[in-house]
Amino acid sequence: MQCCKAKARLAIRLTPSVRFVGVDVQFKNVPSSYKYTGYYKKARLIDPESEPSFIPLKCYNPPQIDENGCLTLPVMEYTREARKRRARELWHEKVRKLDTVEEKIFELSMPRYYGWKTYQLGEELVMYDALPKTQYMTQTHIASEPGLPSHYDQILDAETIDATVRDIKDQVEESLVFEYNYRKQDYQFSLKELEDKTLQENIRTKAISEQINRILMSSLSMKYPHLMESQIDIDPRIEAFWFFGGFEVPPLIKKARKSKENSKEWADEPVNQQLQYKGKPILQVRHQLPLREIMSMEATKDTSWEIPVEDLDPRTVGYKKLYEHASIIPGFWPGDPNEFGLVSYHNMGYLHKRHETYEDREDAIKSQAILANFAWLYGQACYQGFSTFHNPTYPLVNQAVITNGQEWNFSVYQLNTTTMHIDAINENETRNMCWVTEPIKLFECIEDDKVKGFNDEVLKNLIKFYANVPQVREGVDMKPHLVKEKLVANIEDPERRKWLDERYKHLLSNRPRHRLVPEIYDWQRIYMIDNKTRPLDKRRDWWQFKKHVFRRRLDDHTPPYIPKKQREDPKSRKKWAKMYYPYVHPKEMVDPHNIKEIERPVQGEPEIVPPWPKHN
Amino acid sequence: MSTRWYPIYQKGNPQLRVFLPNFWLKLVKPELKHKPNVVEFHCSMEMTKEDVKNYIEKIYKVPVVKVNTRIALGKCERSELGYVVKRDDVKHAYVTLPRYEKFEYPKLFDNENRLKEKEKDDKSYKEATSEHKNEMDKLNKTTPGYSPWFTI
Repeated sequence: MQCCKAKARLAIRLTPSVRFVGVDVQFKNVPSSYKYTGYYKKARLIDPESEPSFIPLKCYNPPQIDENGCLTLPVMEYTREARKRRARELWHEKVRKLDTVEEKIFELSMPRYYGWKTYQLGEELVMYDALPKTQYMTQTHIASEPGLPSHYDQILDAETIDATVRDIKDQVEESLVFEYNYRKQDYQFSLKELEDKTLQENIRTKAISEQINRILMSSLSMKYPHLMESQIDIDPRIEAFWFFGGFEVPPLIKKARKSKENSKEWADEPVNQQLQYKGKPILQVRHQLPLREIMSMEATKDTSWEIPVEDLDPRTVGYKKLYEHASIIPGFWPGDPNEFGLVSYHNMGYLHKRHETYEDREDAIKSQAILANFAWLYGQACYQGFSTFHNPTYPLVNQAVITNGQEWNFSVYQLNTTTMHIDAINENETRNMCWVTEPIKLFECIEDDKVKGFNDEVLKNLIKFYANVPQVREGVDMKPHLVKEKLVANIEDPERRKWLDERYKHLLSNRPRHRLVPEIYDWQRIYMIDNKTRPLDKRRDWWQFKKHVFRRRLDDHTPPYIPKKQREDPKSRKKWAKMYYPYVHPKEMVDPHNIKEIERPVQGEPEIVPPWPKHN
Repeated sequence: MSTRWYPIYQKGNPQLRVFLPNFWLKLVKPELKHKPNVVEFHCSMEMTKEDVKNYIEKIYKVPVVKVNTRIALGKCERSELGYVVKRDDVKHAYVTLPRYEKFEYPKLFDNENRLKEKEKDDKSYKEATSEHKNEMDKLNKTTPGYSPWFTI
């Protein structure tokens, strides 16, 4: 035994110590180019020839009259699935019936008092290998060949583009030299901030893109008057909220369902989850009219355009959940006349903060482009009266530029669909389209106050973006779901108008509630829930009663109290102030959109034959 | 950092000294579904993300893109004496390999053969019991419903 021990000791002594610092490991078998190898959404996930395991789209059966003139009343399917679906459709219908943009957005957060538990997506929050997931979450197909769509070649001739480039080039070069060599930032920042690559790059990029936007606007607006009419937002607030039903069932929900006998059957039933995007572009240009569509909506139903299916829980990739109200803002409040986007500029300084080991820079930029474009267009579509439950009836187009001053990425996006909830994710075949160019360098370097290796390609693309003239969509009803009032500002009742305006803006500010959110303390979970050591304690807390606090509705509270002094006569009445949460009269809700009025045959009134035999 | 110290620089030779940290990693079958390029480990509580990364890269020569760690709270249970006792916490490490890599948790037990053996055992057990039952039934023919103890 002793001998063995001695040997072991010797062995330990002889083994070389492992030094962890500064040793590079070279890995073999690294493929030069990577391609996603997971599932693709090619066609409907459900095989149309198999027995239908899902409920057909509309659960309302219209009343009919058969050949004999017999009236058959609608037979409602009464399975759990059908009932649940009908309830959902009723809510979607309510959102459609609401007549102002603000109320439609307000209604999305009505079911939750403390807000939805949303997945937080951000412009500068791009996870490792995020492209397939962002494509799936926004139902976007990326064109396989890099470059702008062929539609952009016809906007201008080569000669006019060259001429305008020649006009602008000097100004652009001058501004570049100024921003890189002559703008002093030292006195504004601390040492720590000066060393922060992301911050410094973002600041420089902002200055450069504002300069370039200014140059393009001033030099092109004589030729293109639409630029004079357009409006520029600097540092706008872009937020988008949508329901997504394509993820697998969250493990805790599955566990809860399996724990009860009744709910075991539907443990795998899909669940709607909420996605909240927050972004802050450098600047954006808006106009009264939308850009011309690149392809028709019907054409995007082509099943050969693939969308990867990544249905894993986003938390496994690194996204987090937070309680928040639904906020949808495309950088301006409803009622602004310039409600369609032309161009938006975005930073890419966050790429410095990502690990060097990721090696997916191009994909990161693509996924940033997809989310930024989708979120802005989605917000615009919501201001036209569409929502997560109602597809836009015409496509919307945006052009985005992602840049760090030297490297420029151009992308064009066409929004065709916004519905991705559990009922639509497998049935909706339209997809959003995205075209992305490869990164182009504006210049090689700046030496002796001169720009070297200037690339005209960047300016050409930018000119094409600005020269793309927005047009009137002829024969298209732009706001089919907004009929009467359209905006809260148009409501006649002053009290209701004021109440809705204040509440809507307060809701979108997403301020925390005045009272703390209810919680279960650790000592309670240990000594009262997991181990019942205190059976004689009086029940006082919310979790000891069966009411589900986090399912509380937004309007589930007592209205503001009116003091007696302020009440009108008689003083015994009207104790509580009025509240104007989004409301649709039940009479309008009874008639869902697909039940039409029964058309009776004209020639004489038919005798309705009763189903039982006649007795004399 | 491990509870044992990294070798501190000391003057003189030999510079090559042995350093044995008390670090360990345990490959675990993941509870939740993950991407194919994610591997889950349990690790010692002292290990940081960097430590996990170095451990896998330097010892096993496997490329690592990023590491996420979390500490799972141990459950509280009643002990035999009735006290509430807490189990130890566990540190999980989720290691992301490059996206072209795939990892499958190995099949440690041959479950198919096990099932077959179990079926065999069940069958023989059934046969044995059924024989016994048949004999008992024969004895009970005259007095159905009574224990065979009553039969003559």
